[in-house]
Amino acid sequence: MIALSLVLLLLAILGAPLFAIIASSAMLGFYREETDLMNMALEVQSIADLPFLAAIPLFTFAGYVLSESNAPQRLVRVTNALLGWMPGGLALVCLAACAFFTAFTGASGVTIIALGAILYPALKQDGYDDKFNLGLVTSSGSLGLLFAPSLPLILYGVVAEVPIDSLFLAGVLPGLLMLAMLSGWSFWVNRDNRKPLADFSLREVGAALREAIWELPLPFVVLGGIYSGFFAVSEAAAITALYVLIVEVFILREIPLKALPNVMRQSMVLVGGILIILGVSLASTNYMIGAGVPQLLFEYMQGLVSSPVMFLILLLVFLLILGAILDIFSAIVLVVPLILPIAAGYEIHPVHLGIVFLAAMQLGYLTPPVGLNLFIASYRFEKPIMHVYAATLPFLLILFLSVIVITFWPQLSLWLVPGT
Amino acid sequence: MATLIQRLDAFGRLAENVALVGLLSGMMLLAVGQIVLREFFNTGFVWADELIKLMVLWLAMVGSIAAGRDNRHIRIDLLSHVLPDRLVRVSRVLVDLFAAVVCGVIAWHAWRYLQLEIEFEDTVLIDTPAWIAHSIMPLAFMLLAYRFVVSSLSLLTAQRRPGGETAA
Repeated sequence: MIALSLVLLLLAILGAPLFAIIASSAMLGFYREETDLMNMALEVQSIADLPFLAAIPLFTFAGYVLSESNAPQRLVRVTNALLGWMPGGLALVCLAACAFFTAFTGASGVTIIALGAILYPALKQDGYDDKFNLGLVTSSGSLGLLFAPSLPLILYGVVAEVPIDSLFLAGVLPGLLMLAMLSGWSFWVNRDNRKPLADFSLREVGAALREAIWELPLPFVVLGGIYSGFFAVSEAAAITALYVLIVEVFILREIPLKALPNVMRQSMVLVGGILIILGVSLASTNYMIGAGVPQLLFEYMQGLVSSPVMFLILLLVFLLILGAILDIFSAIVLVVPLILPIAAGYEIHPVHLGIVFLAAMQLGYLTPPVGLNLFIASYRFEKPIMHVYAATLPFLLILFLSVIVITFWPQLSLWLVPGT
Repeated sequence: MATLIQRLDAFGRLAENVALVGLLSGMMLLAVGQIVLREFFNTGFVWADELIKLMVLWLAMVGSIAAGRDNRHIRIDLLSHVLPDRLVRVSRVLVDLFAAVVCGVIAWHAWRYLQLEIEFEDTVLIDTPAWIAHSIMPLAFMLLAYRFVVSSLSLLTAQRRPGGETAA
């Protein structure tokens, strides 16, 4: 059994599709327990029993449509008009616009491609240091992860069976903390280059808002609808997707109708890749829970650590390693079901656990060897990967500090969540 | 022979796109329609929620088939940046064959399950036979198995080409 697990691990490292690895380990488990392997098909197909899951394809599609249109330019213009007057304003614009865009598009690397392409040259033109710009744009690419309606938040809610609107509220302050700390760092680094972009102009704000008039209702519909309890998250996703489709394709006509099938395909390829991992993980999770793995892990952990603080330290170390090798979606569906009962044993609130999990996994986008943002930035801006590593390092450290704060200060996550 | 495979390939891609466009558009319209019916007419279809969930399953499976074709399945991309090109390709041949076998096994058992559903006359959506809704399972895993075999073989032949041109 151990030998077989090692073979699977080796295959995973050699680059086998992750779903095939998880599926085969689950089937090996079934086989040993003499469970009919038909259960594998049954478990994957039980994707159709999960609530709210429709939100994932719908929001992903909406995000792809937005990033294919000129919405990124309009977003940058609005943010610029609102924040650009501050000293070091453009760095702030970059952070805020990227966070907003990532929240709406899920952290799949599209932010760097859609927004980085506009912001990176603009930062350079404004006299910022190239290394700083590269680090800023690369680390901004996954910044909005904790803000509604980001895909990882939804997926965590589905997997952990935690109310998604609670997660949406819980992510607000920790997400703002990350933004604030990165902004502070940007101000400090550029303390000698403090010229504001332009004076604050009410006229420019008006013009920018008018240009973005069709996209303006989106945050209010999505966030207002969800936070007020008017829509379920999957309903907000359906409205967002249909609205964005009508606006960008039929009203503004920035995406030709002919290109639409390909946009749909691109977004559903991503969704298919995530959901098939979710499906096979349902099988492996069920097998492991049946075999009492979480219980064993918990007993083992209890022998090791007694205090919640100690547990959180270990959890953080584990998540940082996990994030360095696994993408955030696979990590959620694979690992959350196992650590959830353990964390409950240490009286860690599942909502807080979710925020810690995602915040720590966000660092994984920026850590070698498989940090997605690093490779996208290296590819997109044609810089050697080592150069991108080095440029991102200070930002990574700042984010790491913020993750520590988020981990050991549960109230920050739970403060806005009613009933905790 | 080559043209037949090319035509098959083009047809497969088209079929995936048609399915994805239909499913995604249908899901958007159905979900929004359901909200409109509820808010303005105080009514709705009892089967809509279940149908939307089944559409998610189909989107997931057709999306995975498409991800197989586009070589976009999530992998731990640890070695491709470090190892020499040739070794990366050898390991890809190996792991894709492995994935093909796994998908084949799942497809076979999904097929067995489907036959049970036919036998027991299970239903979804009030009175629709469940096997229709779940027929995507063996189909998707069979196509994925086929895709991984093809990808593995094409890597193998590219490997033998003198000069070692990199496959895109």
